[in-house]
Amino acid sequence: MSTAERMMGRLTARRGEKVLGLLAAAGVIATAVLGLWVTPPDADEGNVFRIIYVHVPSAWLAYLSFFIVFAASVAYLATKRIRWDRLAAASAEVGVLFIGLTLVLGSIWAKPTWGIWWTWDPRLTTTAVLFLIYVGYLAVRRLPDSPAKRARWSAAIGIVAFVDVPIVHLSVTWWRSQHQAPALLHVAPRMAASMAAGLLVGVAAFTLLYAYLVTFRLRVGRLEDRAISEALSPRLEPRSAPVEPPPTPPAPKEVSARG
Amino acid sequence: MIPRTVDAPRTHGSPAADPATPAVLLSGVTRVFGVAPAVVRVGLRVERGETLLLRGPNGAGKSTLLRIVATALSPTYGSGSVLGFDLLRDRDEIRRRCELLGHRTRLYEDLTARENLRFVCTLYGLDPSRVGPALERAGLADAADDRVSGYSQGMRQRVAVARALLRRPELLLLDEPYAGLDEEAKEVVDDAVRDAGAEGRTVILATHDPGRGDMAGRTLLMDGGRLVPAGSASS
Amino acid sequence: MNLLRQSVAMAAKDLRIELRGRYALSAILPFAGTLLIVFGLSLGPGRTLLQETAPGLLWLAVLFASVLAFRRAYEAEGEDGALEGLLLAPMDKAAVFLGKAAAVAAQLLALEVAVITLVVGLFDLSLGGAPFVLAGAFVLGTVGLAAVGSLFGVLAESPRAREAIFPLLVLPLATPVLVAGVKATSLATTGRGGQAGGWLGLLVAFDLVFLAAGTLVYPYLLED
Repeated sequence: MSTAERMMGRLTARRGEKVLGLLAAAGVIATAVLGLWVTPPDADEGNVFRIIYVHVPSAWLAYLSFFIVFAASVAYLATKRIRWDRLAAASAEVGVLFIGLTLVLGSIWAKPTWGIWWTWDPRLTTTAVLFLIYVGYLAVRRLPDSPAKRARWSAAIGIVAFVDVPIVHLSVTWWRSQHQAPALLHVAPRMAASMAAGLLVGVAAFTLLYAYLVTFRLRVGRLEDRAISEALSPRLEPRSAPVEPPPTPPAPKEVSARG
Repeated sequence: MIPRTVDAPRTHGSPAADPATPAVLLSGVTRVFGVAPAVVRVGLRVERGETLLLRGPNGAGKSTLLRIVATALSPTYGSGSVLGFDLLRDRDEIRRRCELLGHRTRLYEDLTARENLRFVCTLYGLDPSRVGPALERAGLADAADDRVSGYSQGMRQRVAVARALLRRPELLLLDEPYAGLDEEAKEVVDDAVRDAGAEGRTVILATHDPGRGDMAGRTLLMDGGRLVPAGSASS
Repeated sequence: MNLLRQSVAMAAKDLRIELRGRYALSAILPFAGTLLIVFGLSLGPGRTLLQETAPGLLWLAVLFASVLAFRRAYEAEGEDGALEGLLLAPMDKAAVFLGKAAAVAAQLLALEVAVITLVVGLFDLSLGGAPFVLAGAFVLGTVGLAAVGSLFGVLAESPRAREAIFPLLVLPLATPVLVAGVKATSLATTGRGGQAGGWLGLLVAFDLVFLAAGTLVYPYLLED
């Protein structure tokens, strides 16, 4: 591949990222407009209900990103390609961000509607446990001193953590036996068409945002790796092979003048 | 340059070693810890049956290099084969044929020397009756049933030597094996190296003990993570 | 059946070390006892409250004890590079995982007997009429904790690891064991042992998933 081609590849990659970013921004604005002005207030909950347009999409994304972490981890162990590890790392970071957002938004919603910030509802509890598991995943990523080991360790955790999700959910669901249908099913019958549209736009916008953030984080990951290898390369160059001819020794005059 | 793969690729089929290949063949092997290179672009060829002496100051990368050859560490860049087996793919084949006496003795403090070695026998599928003679040869017959936690540094090193004597590996890697040993025990190590050489097995011995290593056929110097031609090492 | 033989050798080695060092007896058991006393103090002297919370406190003590037990089990491997010896042995690395899980599970079960006795005394918990459900909950829960701990304890032996890493990773993953263990225990101790089947089933599922995942994934954690 020629240098020009590589430059082109990088440019189009950056352009793709920019387009994604713009689409995501447009989607988020559209969600805000739909959610705040176009949709009617909820019959029971009033304007507080509008938080659903960001709460549900961010919850969906948290779960999507952890699924991607799982898939990328399996792919890494199967192929040992470092890009899968970068994808898992990027997706985990974005996932932790969205799951944190989900918890905060959920609390804000819960206070006016249920009168409490937190309830030990199965979905909330599962989400909180997942948040902690993936915070642990990110913490472990900092431990190993070789990229191969980091990739392998995190792949192992990425797989085990995701397999654990259904068990955690099942356990907390049984634990709080008074379970309710997911919020979406619960409110679906009384949703106006514009509400459903707002929700769909929100999910689409957040998915684009996720794709943008992951793409961005992947580029940062590649740059990190390149920075490390560039920082290393002078120390890895053969010592006894000067690339340039040695400079002419300075005249004795100059030396004494400087000294 | 960003490596696309940093890990062993998946392979299919069983490995097969060609007996004509050299005992160790490394090319461009580099090992980085974080951003600190420990071994830099090492190319090395060691023939079968050779006894190679590796010299160099502390921190020169000798231990890292030996651990890479023993498959305890993987190279960050570069590739290689040991006894004809690929360094990344056929690790178990290499491990079966290779013994590393490292600078850590790998002993369990609360077990006796005998129990430690019997455990090694179980892991390698060796006959446990080899433990007694090996301990005797390392001069530990009397202390063999004491816990390692009461041992001096020199005695621990003797157990490590005895452990290396349990097997007759095709490739014997010795990393500062004389550390803490008295003259008598050092002779045991030397005998083991000579035996291996006489039997056509390969030995790589890393030491900066100036009085040792005269049985080696060839000496290489290591400095700053690089192999440097003999006689040109910076002091 | 090399895997079985090597796992047994691993477990026997770990148990022998534990019998010699008596770490579980001399440090973990007193720690679990202290935890129970502190829990009791923090909840006040109300007898019914203590009785109701006893199963939860019991399992919390077991959970924290298992964290300590695994830190100890892997410390013995790290002291003098023994883990590298295991890595370099041409064996199935899953044997290390299974052997260590078995050894620590055995220690934990012994510990649990002592902890349960303490709880019965301190919190006036009656063991109830379902001894098999109770035993099942503890055996199954212990196997699950042992699998998670054996799998991730190896990460804590990394030179850059911090003390908090291991509990941070293991405790959230082990929440199903805590929940199911507590529920099955409180059902068994209040004469409703017959309703605990689902919880025991959940523990079985957890054990199977983590034993299988650990067997598959552990070699990747051990290699450099």
